[in-house]
Amino acid sequence: MPISVTMPRLSDTMEAGTIVRWNVKEGDEVTSGQVVADIETDKATMEMPVFDDGRIARLLVPAGQSVKVGTQIAVIAEEGESLESASKGGGSAAPVAAKPVAATPSAPAASAASSHAASASRDEESVTVGGQRVRVSPVARRMAEEHGIPLGSLQGSGPGGRIIKRDVLTAMENTASRPSAPVVAAPAANAQSLAVPVAPASRPSGGLVIAGLESERVAVSGMRQTIARRLVESKTTIPHYQVSMKFDLDRLMAVREQLNTELASTGIKLSVNDFIVRGCALAMARHPYVNSSWAGDAIAMHKQVNVGVAVALDESKGGGLVVAVIRDADRKSLRAISAESKAMGEKARTRGLAPEDMADSTFTVSNLGMFGVEHFTAIINPPNSAILACGAAIKQPVVRNDELTVGYEMTATLSSDHRVIDGAMAARWLKELKGLLENPATLLV
Amino acid sequence: MSALREIEYRDALREAMAEEMRRDKRVFLLGEEVAEYNGAYKVSKGMLEEFGASRIIDTPISESGFAGMAIGAAMQGLRPIVEFMSWSFSLVAADPILNNAPKMLYMSGGQFGCPIVFRGNDGAGGQLGSTHSWCVEGMYSNVPGLKMAIPSTPDDAKGLLKTAIRDDDPVFFLESERMLGMKGHVPEGDEILVPFGKARTRREGTDCTIATWGRPVHFALEAAEALAKDGISCEVIDMRTIRPLDVGSVVRSVKKTSTCVVVDQSWSFGSPGSELASQVHRHCFDDLDNYVHRVHTADVPAPYAFNLEQEYLPNARKICEAVRAATYNA
Amino acid sequence: MNTMSTPSTDTRRLFDVHRGEAAPRIAPDRSVPPAATLKKWLRDMMLIREFEVRCMQAYQDKKIGGFCHVYIGQEAVAVGCVAAMKHEDPLVTAYRDHGHALARGMSARACMAEMFGRVDGCAKGKGGSMHMFDKPNNMFGGHGIVGAQTPLGLGLAFATKYEDEVMRGGKNTRVTLCFLGDGALNQGALHEAMNLAGLMNIPVVFVVENNGYSMGTSIHRGTTMAHDLKSKAIGYGIDAAVVEGMDVLETYHGMKAVIDDARARSRPWFIDLRCYRYKGHSMSDPRKYRTRDEEEAWEAGDPIGTLESFMLEKGMITADESKEMLKGVKAEVRDCVAFADASPVPADGELYTDVYMEPWGPYPGSSKPSMMGGGENTPSFRAIERSEDLL
Repeated sequence: MPISVTMPRLSDTMEAGTIVRWNVKEGDEVTSGQVVADIETDKATMEMPVFDDGRIARLLVPAGQSVKVGTQIAVIAEEGESLESASKGGGSAAPVAAKPVAATPSAPAASAASSHAASASRDEESVTVGGQRVRVSPVARRMAEEHGIPLGSLQGSGPGGRIIKRDVLTAMENTASRPSAPVVAAPAANAQSLAVPVAPASRPSGGLVIAGLESERVAVSGMRQTIARRLVESKTTIPHYQVSMKFDLDRLMAVREQLNTELASTGIKLSVNDFIVRGCALAMARHPYVNSSWAGDAIAMHKQVNVGVAVALDESKGGGLVVAVIRDADRKSLRAISAESKAMGEKARTRGLAPEDMADSTFTVSNLGMFGVEHFTAIINPPNSAILACGAAIKQPVVRNDELTVGYEMTATLSSDHRVIDGAMAARWLKELKGLLENPATLLV
Repeated sequence: MSALREIEYRDALREAMAEEMRRDKRVFLLGEEVAEYNGAYKVSKGMLEEFGASRIIDTPISESGFAGMAIGAAMQGLRPIVEFMSWSFSLVAADPILNNAPKMLYMSGGQFGCPIVFRGNDGAGGQLGSTHSWCVEGMYSNVPGLKMAIPSTPDDAKGLLKTAIRDDDPVFFLESERMLGMKGHVPEGDEILVPFGKARTRREGTDCTIATWGRPVHFALEAAEALAKDGISCEVIDMRTIRPLDVGSVVRSVKKTSTCVVVDQSWSFGSPGSELASQVHRHCFDDLDNYVHRVHTADVPAPYAFNLEQEYLPNARKICEAVRAATYNA
Repeated sequence: MNTMSTPSTDTRRLFDVHRGEAAPRIAPDRSVPPAATLKKWLRDMMLIREFEVRCMQAYQDKKIGGFCHVYIGQEAVAVGCVAAMKHEDPLVTAYRDHGHALARGMSARACMAEMFGRVDGCAKGKGGSMHMFDKPNNMFGGHGIVGAQTPLGLGLAFATKYEDEVMRGGKNTRVTLCFLGDGALNQGALHEAMNLAGLMNIPVVFVVENNGYSMGTSIHRGTTMAHDLKSKAIGYGIDAAVVEGMDVLETYHGMKAVIDDARARSRPWFIDLRCYRYKGHSMSDPRKYRTRDEEEAWEAGDPIGTLESFMLEKGMITADESKEMLKGVKAEVRDCVAFADASPVPADGELYTDVYMEPWGPYPGSSKPSMMGGGENTPSFRAIERSEDLL
């Protein structure tokens, strides 16, 4: 099955892009992550990597030409596929060339919709999939319904991606020829719920349906789609690397205990994370690159320090992850940070955060310490340049003043965007943070 | 057995009129040049000889006067056939043919009907320019109380005209100068009538329904032939009458094909084509794979220059394009 | 140019005829009809006037909608002309048509019910004030477009002649009276109709009810040769006459001579019939375009008063009889207003009837498609609401 390469949306305001240069030619082998073209957006000239292995079957848009985001610009032939058949198959004007597939085993059903669940009501199904309006001709809608084919499993070949009768007929044929494929929406009553690796990002990489596994298909929420899209984009476009450091938290824990005892009557209870947020914010003063964003041809040095705190949502309510933003964290007291953090977490878990609660972070802290996690790495939350992943403050044997003793230690790992932050810069920032956290009095002033 | 009898469209019209005039003395023909000149387009050739000047009546160029006169005669119980040399000239008779004939029955609470046939050439002839190239079906079919037939072949010309003459309501009968010389099999027999409101499937197909009437039926058949070579199978439906309009036949076909192209030689705005398209959308909403595509005459006055006139009118090429677009084969 | 409309000083001398060279001279037979006939005319004129007065009242009470053009002042024209016709002679007129309908014999109840838009109206409430049709009385309408009835009148006359001569092989026996206002003189349709009538020897009499005004425009402001309308017809080879319209006896005599001639020779006529409308063009007309003096001058020669005086003078009626007659007329009109008011409005389904005689046939081999909608007797192409009906 040929793979379509479309003009990526490389900035939030980008509507069209110009191909400055193709770095490959038809027939070239490419591997996932390889930069195949330079794209000029409304803001900058960016590198465009591909996400699949294969050979370039066709370059559809010549250098110098501007096309809309989503327009197909190249076709990649998969391994074992002839260039000729690939260029035919993938050459339609549809934005996404992957052909309509109702869970054909080996094919990437390149669509957010491919994981669309049977649980969605028919009405919703016909109009939107994952919050996105699906264009479908009336007869295709009716036929799909009659044959139990989820519209989300279809890729429209009509204008604007409209699903047309032909697409349904093709899907029906595929179904007929592959009776064992787990096509149909309705799960068997006793179906086990398996973690089907579905990557709901509509772009750039598709989801995967594994043949032979019985699986329940779970509807993807809009939030899940956003997480998927943003993190795939982050992990695949930002050159990540990690630097870890251990922190002696004996004094911090002592101060925390003391303060919490004193403040107990006021209802305030400082968490370790509140100290970390405060520490991170203060550390920015001398290391502004960690508080900045890659802007293509420049680096945006933010004048505010807005620290995002990752908040996990209750799985029973669909799970998910949001980032609550503590604005101007460098100018807020521990007490203020704590109160705000608590309120935001509460709001996130109950009513949900408002867009402004989640906007404009310049740095993010992710903390899994409460689960006893010792060490992990996090994916950068764009447009941040770094994220700090904090493990638990664990009481353990430590060496203090050349003596083995028992103390609190925490491991934190900074993921950085190498375009902005080099290794030494990351290390210096961590050292700064270490100084702050290990001398908690500095956090109080 | 002898070969099937083939006659021209104009001869078929004459046969219809002559047979009905022999059958019913209330029927008479009037219009410009219908008698002594034998018809401006020779449709009434020889009729003066058979029926005499009292029933084949030459009129001066006075459409408002003679059309109104014929309507008065119909109110009294006669069954006039009014020949407009061109429907373009009927515009000066708009008040009698639109304000009187189709409304008389209603205004009089059912007392006075108007059994009359207005017939003549409709649509572009050959480079006749803006004033002489009217397709009146767009405008006139808007009026309730009239019926409208638009035959595309000699046999339908005869069968529909005979029906029109026997009809008790006013019938607007739209012929085409460009088809008068067209030959086709027309069965002999006085009682071969074609009912109104019954479309004729000219070609069966599975991928796209082309609904049309009058001269463009031939363009549609030409297009269908060309498309068949590319594996696109078209069903061509000749509506034959615009009022009544056999929507049912089109709906049944579209439920099969899921796509529809309406071809109408009148202007697109407020036309029989827009009406049919609307009705198909209404009744085939869940059966359509694409919106109904329409091929019309260009939305400009008729030009004179040959090439411009060709581009102005519907043709097989435009129909092919529409079918390809409608079936996602563009 | 004198734009003042004035009644003729000697109505009896008004019969002024222009004839083609070959036509024999004609002269009205002025013998007075019997008293019973004149009484009927008097009553008919009274009825028309009372009817119109009550129409005005009902219009102001909003019982009558749309346009309403009353005939007050012109009663002698309809009554005199109809008296000169035979029952089988077709009559067609313009929109100021209540008088003609009543003179032709339409029931005043049906006429008033039509005005009220009720089901007992002559056209079941579908025609209205301007469209009075009465087939049994050969009244072919009531036509709302100025001049549009003139080709129709021509066609009616063509048809009667065709029936007599072509279908029956006999001689023409009927004449059509086609009424028009002086405003229609300026419409092309009339001129085409006159040309065809002259050309084809059609027995139609174009009766111009010349009341001096087309809506608010004096005839002198809108029509050439207004002082001699006969000249309009002469150009078409049509015989023409001026006839008095404010004196029913004189109207009758003049029209009788004309109609008899038209019948005998199967020829058209054109009549300049001098009359006056007392009221405005329609109910909304304040009559600012003419003087009160002018109106009074015409009202002094009122056609009802003129006939009544004549009959009193000749001993054909007594003052009491006349008073009694008027009383009876008033009662009759009161009754027809009550009747109209009590008559039901047309059923909603009536909207869809009478559009076609037979929408789908009858044609050999044709069955009635169900797309008609509505009931069996619903002769109209109805919008199809149920898609299933098409399958």
